[in-house]
Amino acid sequence: MHGIPLKPTVELQAVHKFYGDFHALCGVDLTIGKGEVCVAIGPSGSGKSTLLRCINQLEIVSAGRISLNGELQGYREIDGRLHQLSARQIAEQRRRTGMVFQRFNLFPHMTALQNVTEGPVHVKGRPSKLAKEEGNALLERVGLGGLGNRYPNQLSGGQQQRVAIARALAMDPEVMLFDEPTSALDPELVGEVLDVIKDLARAGMTMMLVTHEIGFAREVADHLVFMDNGAIVESGRPQEVLSNPGEARTRAFLSKVF
Amino acid sequence: MSETSIELAGKGGQLDKGGKPQDFVRNEVVPRRHPGRWVAVALILVICIQAAHGVATNPNFHWATYAEHLFSPFVLRGVGWTLLLTVIAMAIAIPLALALVIMRDSGNPILGGVAWFWVWFFRGTPVYTQLAFWGLFAVLFPRISLAVPFGPELFSIDSRLIVTPAVAAIVGLSFNESAYLAEIFRAGFRAIDRGQTEAAQAIGMSQAKIWRRILIPQAMRTIIPPTGNETIGMLKMTSLVLAVPFTLDLMFATNAIANRTYLPVPLLLVAATWYLAITSLLMVGQYYLERHFGRGHDVIAVKGGPR
Ligand SMILES: Nc1ncnc2c1ncn2[C@@H]1O[C@H](COP(=O)(O)OP(=O)(O)O)[C@@H](O)[C@H]1O
Ligand SMILES: [Mg+2]
Repeated sequence: MHGIPLKPTVELQAVHKFYGDFHALCGVDLTIGKGEVCVAIGPSGSGKSTLLRCINQLEIVSAGRISLNGELQGYREIDGRLHQLSARQIAEQRRRTGMVFQRFNLFPHMTALQNVTEGPVHVKGRPSKLAKEEGNALLERVGLGGLGNRYPNQLSGGQQQRVAIARALAMDPEVMLFDEPTSALDPELVGEVLDVIKDLARAGMTMMLVTHEIGFAREVADHLVFMDNGAIVESGRPQEVLSNPGEARTRAFLSKVF
Repeated sequence: MSETSIELAGKGGQLDKGGKPQDFVRNEVVPRRHPGRWVAVALILVICIQAAHGVATNPNFHWATYAEHLFSPFVLRGVGWTLLLTVIAMAIAIPLALALVIMRDSGNPILGGVAWFWVWFFRGTPVYTQLAFWGLFAVLFPRISLAVPFGPELFSIDSRLIVTPAVAAIVGLSFNESAYLAEIFRAGFRAIDRGQTEAAQAIGMSQAKIWRRILIPQAMRTIIPPTGNETIGMLKMTSLVLAVPFTLDLMFATNAIANRTYLPVPLLLVAATWYLAITSLLMVGQYYLERHFGRGHDVIAVKGGPR
């Protein structure tokens, strides 16, 4: 996949984010091509979650621009001035990105299948019978065929996270964002979730993934970025960044996680 | 397949994970005995029977009068009105309280301020005073009119036709109750993890749908028990509508009979019997509501494994 100039799916230009006075993102530029898997690593508090949340507009950027398939996120530009989109328009833009959270955030009052069909039926207005069939197929795809009737509290962590992935996929997103999807899991359950993500990568899904699983990052990433203090310190192919980091901070971090 | 074994193991487990018979025997345990409990039961029973006998044979209780009035049409009408006031007042207070919570959460300072003021005012003044005020509404504002501000009047009506005693009672009870419920609801919504809203936003849900489909069903679980409590409180609070004055409720009816017959005790018992009966009915309703909204939390048994 390398070497071919890819059409950018996600494009961040000089993105800054402040929480009050705290400068959480300091001028992030990043391009994720169509079908590309971008993995972000870096120490805790370096702004990885903030970056994903900005792409999905769970946070509003303080400066800079984010676009998805060429469409500016969160604003409309008229005569060089930015006008904030309405809540409804922002909700519409969010449908095009799927988000998977560290702590799953499944809806506890709905079964696995209802979690998956919630978006298609109640956001997109898909007929419920069709959505159910598609939902069951998605559950099958993440290895949970037949568990659709269970409530989240009747599923293991790994199963819950796979339901969460199916829920995001059900919206047919243009890009999937994963925020440390295996960090809340028992070690023996990590593999089953990573396998699902690997399958998605193979199927050509555009993804951005934050993880501490360096081995997995090396395997699945087309593009690896190392973040520290709200900035991308180093970026490139995973082999290059991991085996031959140019920055002292990257080396220090890698020596800690390996 | 491992999911099937979870089900079987839950049923006392005659099979192991592979579906083969188990090669162990469950411990046979002689249940602990509680002789002290039996003594206590006997003691309580004796006390209860004695008390019941004492009450039943005590002429001061006038059981004949009690029996005469328990199902009298006058009393039954009172029961009906009390039930109606309770149900309607709660039916208005609940959506009102929900609106107050949503206004408070909206981030709009005007809506938030209005909601804050509403709770402050209705919680901070006695219901009795509020009911008396609503009763006097028609005196204070003889006509209700719709008009262009500072301009001509478009439409006008006698207040007495709109704010009847029944309306005054319902408005007074429900507005007061909404302030208390708003605080209960707010606590219920705050107990929900922020991740729930974020997950719903991430699939592109509108704020209105997030309230309706994600937050409200989850908050219900924690909101229902205290709201049931409030409903029972409301049932008894309806006895204050004499401040309006509204004169058809149960307490007013039994008081009226008591004043006429000079026998307050049996009529207090009639009232108490009916309040207890309605409370019991409400508790049954609450049980089913709790069961419904507890889904996904209380359910531990695994239903519907793999086909
Ligand atoms: N809502 C918030 N308010 C204030 N500070 C925040 C908020 N969210 C994150 N931060 C701060 O921003 C920094 C980056 O956070 P985060 O993006 O979660 O880091 P990471 O995911 O890399 O661990 C941290 O120092 C964190 O304390
Ligand atoms: Mg994080």
